[in-house]
Amino acid sequence: MSSLHDAEVAAERQAAQVDEEVLAKAKAEAHQPAFTPSPGGWAARGLVVFVLAAIVLWWPLHRPMSDVRLFADAAIFAIIGLSLNVLLGYTGQISLGHQAFVGIGSFTSAYLVTVQKLPFVVAIAFAMAIGGLQALILGGVALRVRGLYFALITLSYGTLASDSLFGIAAFTGGGQGQPAPLPSFADTPYRYYYFCLVVLAAVIWVDYRMIKTKGGRALLALRENPRVAATFGINVRAYTLYAFIVAGVLAGLGGALLAHRREIVQAQDYDFRLALIFVIMTVVGGLRSRVGVVIGSAFFALLPYIIEKVHLETVFRILSDHTPLPFLSKEVAALVLGPLLLLLTLTLNPGGIGQQIRPLTRWLGGRRFDFHDRGEKEVQISDVRA
Amino acid sequence: MLTLAEGARTRVAEAMTSPRTYVYAGVVGAITAVFVALGLKQALVLGAIGGSAYGLLALGLVLVYKSSGVFNFAQAEFGTVAVYFLYIFKGVLPYPLALLGALVVAIVMGLLVERLIVRPLFDAPRVTLLVATAGVALAAIGLEFWLGEPKLRSITPLFSRGDRLAILGQRISDQQIFLVVTLLALGVLLALFFSRTNLGLAILGASQEPVATELVGISVRRLSSFTWGLAALLGGIAGVLFVPISGTFGPGAMTSAVLIPAFTAAVLGGMSSLPGAFLGGAIVGVAQAAAISYDGFKSVPGKGSVVVFLLLVVVLAVRPQGLLGSKA
Amino acid sequence: MSVLETRGCSIRFGGVQAARDVSIRIGEWEIVGIIGPNGAGKTTTFNMITGFYTPNEGQVFFKGVDITPLPVHERTALGMGRTFQNVGLVKGSTVRENLKTAQHLRAGYGVVAGMVGLPQTFRTETELAERSDLLLDILGLGDLADTRVAGLPYGVLKRVEVATVLATDPDVLLLDEPSSGMGPEEAHRLGDTLLDLRREFGISIAMIEHHVPLVVRVCDYVYCLNFGELLAEGKPEEVRNHPEVVRAYLGEDPEDVVA
Repeated sequence: MSSLHDAEVAAERQAAQVDEEVLAKAKAEAHQPAFTPSPGGWAARGLVVFVLAAIVLWWPLHRPMSDVRLFADAAIFAIIGLSLNVLLGYTGQISLGHQAFVGIGSFTSAYLVTVQKLPFVVAIAFAMAIGGLQALILGGVALRVRGLYFALITLSYGTLASDSLFGIAAFTGGGQGQPAPLPSFADTPYRYYYFCLVVLAAVIWVDYRMIKTKGGRALLALRENPRVAATFGINVRAYTLYAFIVAGVLAGLGGALLAHRREIVQAQDYDFRLALIFVIMTVVGGLRSRVGVVIGSAFFALLPYIIEKVHLETVFRILSDHTPLPFLSKEVAALVLGPLLLLLTLTLNPGGIGQQIRPLTRWLGGRRFDFHDRGEKEVQISDVRA
Repeated sequence: MLTLAEGARTRVAEAMTSPRTYVYAGVVGAITAVFVALGLKQALVLGAIGGSAYGLLALGLVLVYKSSGVFNFAQAEFGTVAVYFLYIFKGVLPYPLALLGALVVAIVMGLLVERLIVRPLFDAPRVTLLVATAGVALAAIGLEFWLGEPKLRSITPLFSRGDRLAILGQRISDQQIFLVVTLLALGVLLALFFSRTNLGLAILGASQEPVATELVGISVRRLSSFTWGLAALLGGIAGVLFVPISGTFGPGAMTSAVLIPAFTAAVLGGMSSLPGAFLGGAIVGVAQAAAISYDGFKSVPGKGSVVVFLLLVVVLAVRPQGLLGSKA
Repeated sequence: MSVLETRGCSIRFGGVQAARDVSIRIGEWEIVGIIGPNGAGKTTTFNMITGFYTPNEGQVFFKGVDITPLPVHERTALGMGRTFQNVGLVKGSTVRENLKTAQHLRAGYGVVAGMVGLPQTFRTETELAERSDLLLDILGLGDLADTRVAGLPYGVLKRVEVATVLATDPDVLLLDEPSSGMGPEEAHRLGDTLLDLRREFGISIAMIEHHVPLVVRVCDYVYCLNFGELLAEGKPEEVRNHPEVVRAYLGEDPEDVVA
C-alpha cells in the first residue's frame, strides 16, 4: 500500500520536472503586455457579433409561425441545459430525473393559470419556487449520499413523478392534459420567442455572476475535491444543496416556459427519455461551458427541424428503400443520433462543443485567434489523500 | 467441480449453524403471516416471482459494481436487446436454440460496450462512466425504436403450461418457476465462483487494487471484458425469461420495467453483495406487489414507482451500506 | 497556553489501530514538527485535528475550546488552516481563483446577491483579488496569479498551497509534508518563509516533515510517531538522536535518517 503510494508520489515529482518549462512560460507571459485587437480586428469581431445577433433576433421574424415555436423551444432547452450544467458541470452531481423538475414546473404553471386563474408571471414565480422546494426536499434526502447513489435517487424520483404525480388528474388535467395559454403580453409565438430569449439572457447573466462569485467558486472547489473545499471553509453539504436548489429553480422556470410554449401540458411528454436527452445535450454541449451548453441544448431542441431542413429525411427514405433497414423518422432520429453523439463526446471529445468553439469565443472576447487553444484537458479528479 | 460441490456443502453447513440464518427465517415467516392476515398472500407469491427478475438483473449490476465501481445503467438493455433477438431467431429456429442465440447476442453486446465505451473511459471519473452507460441504454432504445419500430410485439414463453402449481392460492406458470430456479442456481454458482475460483478472486482483487493486480500478472483488461460479458449474460437471461411472462414488449421494455427496482434491490442488498441482491430483489418485488394489490391504495396512481422510490430513500437514509453490505 | 492540543486521541479503522493515545500540543508562536516512518499515523493525526476523522477516544482543543465534534469547515472558520500531502488545490482554476475560493468566509455577501450581481459583490470581489495578489507577492508567486494550477511544478504547487491556506486567515497552520517535491535550496527558502510567517503574522505551525535539516532548523519541538503511537518528543536534536527513533527509522528505511 505504502510502496504504491511512494511510486505515485515519485511519478508526480517526475512529471513536475517536465513542467518546469510551463512555469518559465507562465512567468514570461505575465510580463508581456496584454494583446489588444487593432481597430480592424474590433470591426471584424463586431461584424461577427452583428451577424449572430441578426440570426437570433431578426431572422425568426421572417420565418413561419411553426418554425418560431421551435426556436422558442431552443431557448427554453438552453435554460434547462444551464440548469443541469449547475449540477452536472459545476457540482459534479448527475440528475437523471430532470424531466420531473421540468414537468412539475410545467404542470404547476399550467394549473395555476388555467384552474386557479392566476396571472402568468405569478404562475412562473410559483413554478420556480416549487422547483426550488422539491430540490430542497429531495436534496435533503439525497445529500446523505453522493455521486452514483445520488444519480440513482434522481432517476427513481423522475420515474415516481412520471408515474404518480403526473397521474393526479386534478393537477394535470388527466389524459387530455392541462391547457397553458400564452400570456397576454406575449400572445403570439413571435412575441413569446422574444420573451424566452429575454429570460434566457437573464439566466445566462445569473449563471455568469454565480461563477464569478463565492457560490460558484465553492461549487467548482467541492466538485473537484470536497475535502479541499471543506478546508477552505466551505460547507460542502450546504453548497451541494444550494446547487441542487439553483438547478431546481431554473428547471422549474424552463418547465413553466415550455408549458406555455406548447399551450397544453401532457404527462407522456415528460418521460425518462426526456431526462436522458437533457443530460445528453448538456454533455455534448460541453460541461462548464456556458456557450457550449446553450448551443448543445438548442441543437437538440432543433434536431428534428435541422434534419428536415438539410433534407436528411430524404436520405433516410432512400436508405430504407434500398436496404432492409426501416425508415428513420426525424422524431426517432434524435433518439438514435443523440446517444451516439453523447458516446462520441465522452470518449473522444470530453470538452464537447464548448471546447471545439473555444478559439472562436476567445477571439470574440478580444483575444488573439489561436486555432489550437482548446483549453486544458479536464483535470483528473483524484481524491486528495487526507 | 469437486471443490465447488465441497464449497457448497461447507457453505450450507455454515449457514445452518449461524444464528443469523434463523433470525432471517423468523423475519420471513413473520412477514408471510402478516401478508396472509392482510389478505395479500397472492401479492406475496407474485412479488417474490417479480422480485426474481429484479434479483437477476441486480446480480449483473452488483457484478459490474464489484469489479469496476460503475453503476451500469445499460444493464436492463442487455435484456431488452436479447428479447428482440429472441423474437427474431424464434421465427427461424426452435425456441431453445433461439434463446441461446439471444444470450450470445447479449454477451457480444456486453463485450462491445466494454471495449468501445468502458475501456476508453477506464481512468475517467465514475460519474462520467455512469453517463456513458446511460448513453448506451438510450442508444439501444433508440435503435429499438428505429429497427424494431415503436410498437408492441408479443412473445410466448419457453414453457407455456400455466396450471401445474399453485402456492397460497396463486397459480404459477412453468416459466415463472423456471425464472426463480434459474435465479437461485445462478446465485449459488456466482457465490461459489467468487469465493472458490482463482478467476473470481482475481476479479474481486482487481476492484480493490488494480495496480497490484497487474503487478502479480493478472490482466485487468481481460478481467474487465469477462465481467462485462458475464453481466450482459445475466441481463440477457433476465430479459428472455421475464419479458415473455407478461407476453408483450416494446423499445426499452426492461429499462422501464425492471431497471430501477433492480437498482433498488442491489442497493438494499448492499451493492456489492450477491446474496444481498437476491434478498433485495425479493423485498422490492413483494413490497411492490403488496402496494399494487392493497385496497387502501387503490386511488394512488403509480404506486409501484412510489414504493420503489421510498424503499431506496429509506435504505440510503437509514442503512446506506445495505442490509448485507459491510460498512465502508 | 496552547493554541492547539490533542488529548489522548485514538482511532481504529476496522481492525487497524491507526492512532493510539496521541497527545500533542502546539503553543502560541511555536513551530512543531511531526516525524515518523511511513504509515506511522502522522496524517491520521492531522485528520483528527482538522475534523476529517472523529477520534474514537480523546478530544481536540483549539484555543482552549473542545472542538472534537465540529465539522471541517467550522474549524477553518475558527482559524485552522491545513495543506495536504499531495496538494489540496482546485486544479482546474487559476492560482488567483484558488486564493479567492479560500477566502470564502471573508466574502461577506450572500450567494443570491452574488448571482444577481449586486454592486456590493463587485466591490468585495475586487478586494478579494487584491488580497490574493498581496499574499502571492509575499510568497514570491505574483507572476503566476493568472496561471492554471494544473501543470505547475510540484514544488511550486506546495508554495501556492501555503499561500492559499494563508488566505483563509489561519491562526494555526497544519502543513503536511510542505517540502516534498522541493530541492534542498527550495526547502531552505521554505524554511525562511515559515519563520517569516510566524514573525509577520504570529501564526503557530505544525508540520509533518521528512526533510530532517528543515525540521532541525525551524522547529521548536518535535514529536515522533511510530505505528500510531508517540515514540518520543522533545527538542529536535534530542528526538533525532533518541535511540528508539533511530531504530524506528533504521527498521523502515535508513535513507530517511541520512537525508
